[in-house]
Amino acid sequence: MSHMINVDNVTKRYERGGEVLTVLDNLCLTVDQGDFVSLMGPSGSGKTTILNCVGGIDTVDAGTITVNGEDVTTMPQRRLPDWRAQNIGFVFQSFNLVPVLTAMENVILPLQLTPLSRKERKAQAIFALEIVGLADRMGHRPSQLSGGQEQRVAIARAIATDPAVILADEPTGDLDRENANAIMELLQRLNTELGKTIVVVTHDHVAAEMTKRILHLDKGVLERTEVMGTAAAGASAGAASGTAAS
Amino acid sequence: MRTPWRLVPRHLRAHWVRTGLTAAAMMVAVFLLCFLMSIVTVLEKAVSESSANRVVPQSAVSLFVELPLDYHGKIAAVPGVENVAKFQWFGGYYRTPEDFFAQFAVSHEVFFDMYERDMRLVEGPNGPVGASGLSADEVSAQVIQAMSDNRRAAIVGQGLIRDFEWKVGDLIPMQSVFVPKADGSAWEFEVVGVYEPLKANFDDRTMFFRWDYYEETCNNAGDMPATGVGTYSVTIEEGYESGEVAARIDALFANGPQRTWTPTEAVFQATFVAMLGNVPLFVSTIGGAVAFAIFFSVVNTMLMAARQRSSEAGILKALGFRNGVMGRLMLAESILLSLVGGGLGVSLAIATQEPFRQMLGAMLPQYAVLNETAMIALGVSLLIGVIAGIGPAVTLSRLKVTDALRSEG
Ligand SMILES: Nc1ncnc2c1ncn2[C@@H]1O[C@H](COP(=O)(O)OP(=O)(O)OP(=O)(O)O)[C@@H](O)[C@H]1O
Ligand SMILES: [Mg+2]
Repeated sequence: MSHMINVDNVTKRYERGGEVLTVLDNLCLTVDQGDFVSLMGPSGSGKTTILNCVGGIDTVDAGTITVNGEDVTTMPQRRLPDWRAQNIGFVFQSFNLVPVLTAMENVILPLQLTPLSRKERKAQAIFALEIVGLADRMGHRPSQLSGGQEQRVAIARAIATDPAVILADEPTGDLDRENANAIMELLQRLNTELGKTIVVVTHDHVAAEMTKRILHLDKGVLERTEVMGTAAAGASAGAASGTAAS
Repeated sequence: MRTPWRLVPRHLRAHWVRTGLTAAAMMVAVFLLCFLMSIVTVLEKAVSESSANRVVPQSAVSLFVELPLDYHGKIAAVPGVENVAKFQWFGGYYRTPEDFFAQFAVSHEVFFDMYERDMRLVEGPNGPVGASGLSADEVSAQVIQAMSDNRRAAIVGQGLIRDFEWKVGDLIPMQSVFVPKADGSAWEFEVVGVYEPLKANFDDRTMFFRWDYYEETCNNAGDMPATGVGTYSVTIEEGYESGEVAARIDALFANGPQRTWTPTEAVFQATFVAMLGNVPLFVSTIGGAVAFAIFFSVVNTMLMAARQRSSEAGILKALGFRNGVMGRLMLAESILLSLVGGGLGVSLAIATQEPFRQMLGAMLPQYAVLNETAMIALGVSLLIGVIAGIGPAVTLSRLKVTDALRSEG
């Protein structure tokens, strides 16, 4: 069975003053459809870089990345935006929402890239906001929301177009424990109830343990994979361990 | 090419202080531009609309030196001369000297023929054109008839009717500084017609009255007999060259008693304009410098906006908007800002036409913001918007998503 995300021998280097820095070093990893994975590792280990490469907003120097069956690394630059709009939902640590738009308008943004009618977009946005429990705040500006609420709106925006994959880079990094847990529980629900494939970068063990698998990255290499509590993961644990073995 | 256009007004509103100040600066600059351009165009128009087939014999010494009365017949006899009219500056005032307007004593027998292309009679003793079926021709005929029937008859421009609330039939008392009556009483004129200028260089605040009334009254007063004429106005017969006829007139009086200088009307107007000397150039330079400085303030505003917009550019691109999206938004924002400011400036210039016309008074009676001027000013605003927006637009379009997201929000 093909994987939702397949990172195959990916290398990424930066040159700084004649010195070559290898950020991703023949990295291989896979994520199955419906998987919920966290990426952990020391600062500078390449977590953000690989996430961006998978999402098609950064490029690799060698290797291939396929997402949902399409090779992102060879895709022409001009096709990438549309591909992103259809397949990827991004959630970032900060700078997430457009400050001059309301929660509702922020969620509608990616829907403007779809062929949906104005009315359908609105309905879809409300639906997404209901999922994250913020339908009653749709008229609020980001500055009128708490950090946790902002991040939930960002998640609503990421799922609004029903993308194949959700990529979240330290979504709980700016939040306190309680809000961080709420966000992770929300992602968990999106995974179990809606079957979303989710990759979360995090420094937070508590958060990471709420996912099904933890991929430990170090110096651009996948060091080890940790499969979480088999009791909670249930049937998907088998698939997960199988992936880890590859 | 999907673009979330609603971001443009949202950003402008979110930074309303900056938006307001920049728009206000644009408004002032564009207003200034309109004002200065209007002055220059009005001056130019006065020269360009001058009649080419009219020449104005006057004293070669100065406008303030009169020409002898018997020149009238001599000029009329020059080959190529069609009509000759005397023009005499009356220099009177109505009520107070501050209520300034021009009055000329003219040879009314030929005046209307000579100036039919410069003005149109719109109201006569029996009412305005259109009232009770009066045609323009009928009104003209009635005014001309009234002028020849009534020694004190005068026609006045619409501007005077408006400013002094005169009516046809009114008796207008005027004091003259140059030719006061012996008993100190006022001169009296009766309004028999109202004219509307057809050309920009024809003032709508002038009174024309009969030369013979002027002459007789002066002579009767005793101590101020009419001995000369300020200028003659001469129309050239078709087929003759105005320059040649003018030269012939000047040659006729080369040996006195008063030498003449006979410019075409265009030259005559141009000498008036030249009296202003380099003032238009000087004023335009200052205006241009101010506009340029304000242009930089718009550029600065857009650069500031662009710096704050890079993380937003990153978000939009990550969501799947194309590279150019933020550039288009920046450009639209810049153009909208400039056009709003510029539009307000043009509106202000148009709204203040009337007060400015009053203020500039006799100096520039035709001050007006022409449509071309308004269009040019809006064009300049648009251009400023494009130039100010293009740099930030290109920068934001080229920004890589990863760099944009790393930047400070
Ligand atoms: N544009 C760039 N130019 C040069 N080096 C870069 C660039 N972007 C990233 N790097 C380097 O690549 C390495 C990996 O960066 P990355 O952001 O992927 O780390 P990370 O694992 O996400 O770290 P953190 O946990 O701190 O977010 C770092 O050493 C970083 O300095
Ligand atoms: Mg990172």
